[in-house]
Amino acid sequence: MSHKDDDAVQLTVIARSPFHIYYEGPAKRVSATNKVGPFDILPEHADFFSVMSPGDVVIETESDTMQFSISNGIIGVRDNEVMIFANM
Amino acid sequence: MRRANVIQKETEQIVTVEDLTGVFESIASTQVAKIKNKVELSKGFFNLLWKRYSSIRIDPNSRITNRDDNKKWDRKVFVIISAEAGLSGDIDQRLIEAMLQNYDKSTTDIIVLGSHGANQLSQRGIPFIRYFQVPVSESYIDVSPVIQAIASYSQVTIYYEEYVSLGVQDIKTIDLISSVRAMSEEADTDEDIITDKDTIFEPSLEEIADQMEMTMMTLAFSQVILESSLAQDASRFNAMAMAKKRASEMVTSYNLEYHRAKRSESDRRLREVMVSLKKKKQAARR
Repeated sequence: MSHKDDDAVQLTVIARSPFHIYYEGPAKRVSATNKVGPFDILPEHADFFSVMSPGDVVIETESDTMQFSISNGIIGVRDNEVMIFANM
Repeated sequence: MRRANVIQKETEQIVTVEDLTGVFESIASTQVAKIKNKVELSKGFFNLLWKRYSSIRIDPNSRITNRDDNKKWDRKVFVIISAEAGLSGDIDQRLIEAMLQNYDKSTTDIIVLGSHGANQLSQRGIPFIRYFQVPVSESYIDVSPVIQAIASYSQVTIYYEEYVSLGVQDIKTIDLISSVRAMSEEADTDEDIITDKDTIFEPSLEEIADQMEMTMMTLAFSQVILESSLAQDASRFNAMAMAKKRASEMVTSYNLEYHRAKRSESDRRLREVMVSLKKKKQAARR
């Protein structure tokens, strides 16, 4: 896949806790930590499910980078759609 | 007839009660709006989690429940979600009465959430095996101690208060395990089932499914607690609105009584003056 194609494809991210919406929208990168260690989700990432470890989640969008802390969570990546269920 | 200054004093006290109930009424109405927002957010969260879970589920019938080896097959548990404090009208009383209709001491244990419900049970001499404070906080609801307490029962029935509208609150029951299982069986979503052949799972698919199921159970329980809080606040709002109305009516009737007493006092004084004038006139004539 060319670099140009990578730029065009974006992730759709939904990051929520039961009573809070951290972020919902397009993003270029999502970073978090699981038992194995820190990981990044970029567009075209393989389908992926993981239990997240306590720490920071970073979401990089076209114009901004946001960061929030979680005590636990689950991340599910499917067809460029990233769902983060945090602080449950 | 009572003296005007006594009535005036009592009127002042009732005006204070009226002001206080007015404050409680507006606090309750703010709480209702706040909790309604939480309920909506929590439902949205559950739906999203459900969407992901339904794509990785294995066999819902053999999962979600039956995870505790020490299950008490012969006993069931009633979980009562009541208010943490009083001043919430008669809703907790109705809740206890609804539960008692199905309660059989020999087969059922009771776990109660909320001190108001615990007090009501104690007053009626009904034993409960555990008491928990209603676990509500601003950012999350930690129901894990309650989930742990009910994990060993084969049947968990929750009695809770449902918010229908600001004026109407109902008593509801759900079978927690069956309802989560039913939701799982109904999970005929448009999500394709995925397996560990086409998806990376860290840790294993089983462990992630376990975590999701516990989360959903927790969320289902949290939603019931939120729903109860909403109903309790609405009931509190109604009780306060009613108390405020009664206090206003009392103030009006006290004012009326005060003016009557005042008039009667001045009439009495006038009569006394007239009588003494009459006596003076009679004495002068003599």
